[in-house]
Amino acid sequence: MDKQPYILITDDDPDILENLTTILGTQPYRLATARDGKQCLALIKQEQPDLLILDLLMPRLDGWGVIRELRSDPQYARLPIMVLTTVVEDASRRRYELEVGMAMDVQDYVQKPAKPTDLLQHVEKLLKIYA
Amino acid sequence: MRDAPISSLSITAERLRRSEIFGELGDADLAAIAKFCIEQQFEEGEAVLSEGAPAAAVFVVERGKLALEKKIQIGRHSTPRNATIDYVEAGKVAGFSGLVEPYVYSTSAVCLEPTRVIRVDGPVLRAYLEAHPIAGLKAITAVAALISDRYRHSIDTLTYFLSVVSHELRSPLAAVENYLQTLLGGFAGELNDKQKRMITRCALRVTDLRGLIGDVVDLARMRPEQIQADFEWFDPGEIGTESLEDARLAAAEKGIHIKVEPPPKFEPIVGARRRMRQVFTNLLNNAIKYAPPDSVVTLRAWYEPDTLYVEVEDEGPGIPPEDVPHIFEEFFRSDNVSDTPGVGLGLSIAKKIVDAHSGQIIVKSLYGEGGASGTRFTIAIPRNLQTPEMRRREWMMTGNA
Repeated sequence: MDKQPYILITDDDPDILENLTTILGTQPYRLATARDGKQCLALIKQEQPDLLILDLLMPRLDGWGVIRELRSDPQYARLPIMVLTTVVEDASRRRYELEVGMAMDVQDYVQKPAKPTDLLQHVEKLLKIYA
Repeated sequence: MRDAPISSLSITAERLRRSEIFGELGDADLAAIAKFCIEQQFEEGEAVLSEGAPAAAVFVVERGKLALEKKIQIGRHSTPRNATIDYVEAGKVAGFSGLVEPYVYSTSAVCLEPTRVIRVDGPVLRAYLEAHPIAGLKAITAVAALISDRYRHSIDTLTYFLSVVSHELRSPLAAVENYLQTLLGGFAGELNDKQKRMITRCALRVTDLRGLIGDVVDLARMRPEQIQADFEWFDPGEIGTESLEDARLAAAEKGIHIKVEPPPKFEPIVGARRRMRQVFTNLLNNAIKYAPPDSVVTLRAWYEPDTLYVEVEDEGPGIPPEDVPHIFEEFFRSDNVSDTPGVGLGLSIAKKIVDAHSGQIIVKSLYGEGGASGTRFTIAIPRNLQTPEMRRREWMMTGNA
């Protein structure tokens, strides 16, 4: 039997975290949660997830900062990231480009609120492509 | 309010010199203006001037502090409220509308503490400045700078405020919406039919609220130059299809058939793609909202050599003729649709976007014409718009030539 995919969910809103773990918990995934960017990076360094679900506007280190850190480290340059946020995609990409000077390299961008079935489809697809 | 003991002319002139609009004037001008000034004392809470009233005077604050307030009324029937938009302190001026056409105060000014002002008679001051053009130019230049400063300050505050508010409002709503969807999806256990129906209603209401917040935020920060910065080539047929997809659910719920009459072939045009989709979607949603159940809404498009036309037509109650001039105003809603939910922002947003494309949006109401009813919105978008890159290249070529 295949190993259970490991997904790390990072969001500062505890309700969003509970909701996402409820939805994703119906599938054979192993889940972990982080409440800010710094905690997210610390958990990734302990064990590299198969997928990172990442909010953008968070305290301590925001999601753009997490993406920048991960992409500048060869070990995590290919880690699949799905951004899940209330921020509109083009505004978000523009902000990242202005700050970092490079295009925002993420595998998926989903705007909140996402329907549970859509979310599950996105996650399943990403896990399949980047397995 | 009471008139304060009269200061000597030279003291008044000196106080005028320290104010922001008379600072550049010479001694003779200041002494002349001081002659038609009176000093007044106001108590805390008293209004020095009122929004909408004829602007009979300009006020220079000597001591104390004024709050500039603007009346805000959402819809025609709600209670108006006053919002403070700026403060005026010693040396600053309130009521410069007394120098600028149409000579009507654009805000109210209310004392936050006991305040002493110099009241300069507006018509007399205007006559003096017209008769003394050098002083007039200096004073009016200062007024222009003041207006421009206040305008910029308002825009900056608004943009900052909206970016914070927008996220703060959307986040909890997204959390609520997620929970509702999760419950509806059966991820937290099975619901009975009644629970399912109630939660479906909750989800719909929350979605409406999220749309409304998006609209309010959009409307306030939508400036032509921001829209024009996003100009790119796109296929209007594609965004038409996307808008139909956006509107399909609402149409299906009312049994409305959307009839599509496309041109033989869609040609790409330049415009703000995402914003134009918003225009099409707003017009379609608007038509669906007001159309009777089981009627037809028509979306058609055609090209003329210089213009792309897009039209949305419904079989709804139409717009009473007296309301037609107002329908693009923010928060305006016709009396004959007061039972239909909405706050009246969709059309204002559509107009702002079309205006930024140097286009036109025309409404034709069939209200009362031989028993017919319905409304037709026609958008005309020029086909010669340029992307920022095209503008830059043209500028470079003209510069090189």
